[in-house]
Amino acid sequence: MAENLKVSIKNLDVHYGDKQALFNVNLNIMEKEVTSLIGPSGCGKSTLLKCINRMNDLVEICKIRGQILLDSEDINEASQDPVLLRMKIGMVFQKPNPFPKSIYDNVAFGPKLHGMAKSKEELDQIVIQSLSKSGLYEEVKDRLFEPGTGLSGGQQQRLCIARALAVNPQILLMDEPCSALDPIATAKIEDLIAELKQQYTIVIVTHSMQQAARVSDRTAYMHMGELVETGLTKTIFSNPQHEKTQDYITGRIG
Amino acid sequence: MNSVSLRNKKEKRFQMYGMTAVIVAISFLGILLFNIFSTGISAFKQTYVAVNLNIPLDINKSEINPRAELNKSFLKMFPEIQSRTERRAALSLLSKGARYEFEELLDENEGKSIEGYHWFLASADLDMYIKGTVKRQGDTAGRIDENQMKFVDQLESKNLIELQSNKYLLSSADSREPEMAGIRGAIIGSLYSILIAFLVSFPLAVMAAVYLEKIASKNRFSDLIETNINNLAAVPSIVFGLLGLAIFLNFFELPRSAPLVGGLTLALMTLPTIVIAARAAIKSVPPSIEEAAIGMGASKVQTIFGFTLPLAMPGILTGTIIGIAQAIGETAPLLMIGMVAFVVDVPGGPMDASTALPVQIYLWADSPERAFTERTSAAIMVLLTFLILLNLTAIYLRKKLEKKW
Repeated sequence: MAENLKVSIKNLDVHYGDKQALFNVNLNIMEKEVTSLIGPSGCGKSTLLKCINRMNDLVEICKIRGQILLDSEDINEASQDPVLLRMKIGMVFQKPNPFPKSIYDNVAFGPKLHGMAKSKEELDQIVIQSLSKSGLYEEVKDRLFEPGTGLSGGQQQRLCIARALAVNPQILLMDEPCSALDPIATAKIEDLIAELKQQYTIVIVTHSMQQAARVSDRTAYMHMGELVETGLTKTIFSNPQHEKTQDYITGRIG
Repeated sequence: MNSVSLRNKKEKRFQMYGMTAVIVAISFLGILLFNIFSTGISAFKQTYVAVNLNIPLDINKSEINPRAELNKSFLKMFPEIQSRTERRAALSLLSKGARYEFEELLDENEGKSIEGYHWFLASADLDMYIKGTVKRQGDTAGRIDENQMKFVDQLESKNLIELQSNKYLLSSADSREPEMAGIRGAIIGSLYSILIAFLVSFPLAVMAAVYLEKIASKNRFSDLIETNINNLAAVPSIVFGLLGLAIFLNFFELPRSAPLVGGLTLALMTLPTIVIAARAAIKSVPPSIEEAAIGMGASKVQTIFGFTLPLAMPGILTGTIIGIAQAIGETAPLLMIGMVAFVVDVPGGPMDASTALPVQIYLWADSPERAFTERTSAAIMVLLTFLILLNLTAIYLRKKLEKKW
């Protein structure tokens, strides 16, 4: 297991208007590991995730204090361009949201946007590679130019993963990627996550503790906007230090 | 009685109310259409009178006085005419426009002789009698007196009166003579106005909607703007006419009666309608698509032009067509900026004086001549056709744009 620090979150406070959503969160995310964020609804998991690629910039009333360091650089600094940041940090959303375009165009969107392919052949190559990485290529290779919205829910989600991978990110943020999927599609995504962590750093928000236990190396438990406990997944699930964590894991709250 | 059968009865009764409402609405529409069609359809035919011409080859046609020559030929057909009154009575059966047709005939046959019967436009009074719009009472019919009726009977017995298709209605502009009046000027004027209204209001309204919906921060000020746009949509159109008069004519000193000004005024009127429709359409674009684009590193502008607007376009277009259809039938604001003038020329450009279709309808409906009544209905038919075409375009565009996604 690699032990390189990829993202370091320090003293992070987030306010939505008058309401404080995150309280003094400190979290380290290691390179090429899967970190899962768990906790009851409204505990701030998704807010924390969205801070990492500055999706919260879109929310006008959102105020962020504290530091988020990506490879020791503060991502909220004025010199950081959110567009480049989101190229380095891809995101997969709760509900599969392919663009209303063809499968090919969905995956090619990012590379085209960032000018990554110099020729048509290069672009084809990126699309095929990304689809292969997300395990979708074999299923869709005959209908690359049909609309992405025509795929099944699980396939759509893997298409979204392929789309995120196409810009060759370093980190992949996943916001409950399986909550809208059936168990078989979920299993495929989980296998995919296990494969992807060879190359990418993954942060996943999940409601399912079994999923967190299955896919992640480290787990962070959050409650009411505070990070209660963080550690190796094995340790957290077998021997939680904090009472609230224990309650949540054993199903007493949440 | 048990409650189930009571409930079923209630259901049936409610269905019947609904059916009745639909039937009443349809029958009103039917009455309206029937009324317009039955009055207007006859305006597409026009009465012509045959005149026996005998113009030799060797005559220098530029020396002919067309009116005198035509009158002479026409009167030759009635050798029994003695008095001036009779002569005038006979000649009044021909339209004042007949001499122009005669001139055209002369031009066409330069260097050739003209012989035999040729058809010339009849006066509106004769036209009304032939079409049966005015009924014969003894020896008179409407404005045809007993003197004229003699000649009408003679011509009819020799089959020298005929209904032919009306080439003036769609090819000429307004005229004092009903038989020569057409709606081409009004149609062209309307088209120019609508084109300008669209070109001005569509981009402005869409950009305003994008700004309000996606870029402006939500605060007191944007609430104020929103409320005012909604209020503007309900402002009576004549007020926009006054605004156009004050701004475009008095301040910018643009030409009076011009479709340019009409179009700009209609654009003011259409603007709030399109803004409201466009905002609703933009709001209905799923935020997940926009999130996905932003998450991939697209900028706000790239997201708006790449995803939000294309996805909202069918809705925006529907709203636009509704706004434009409203504008095409609008009379009041055009009255205020002088597009109500009597214009006999078809406008050559958006700066020329012109009327518009609804204004032409208003002008003709106001006219005392019976012959203008059928033309009013004919103009309404043309206007309705335009509206139907516009709506079909809207449906086609919407279907096409929706398929693309």
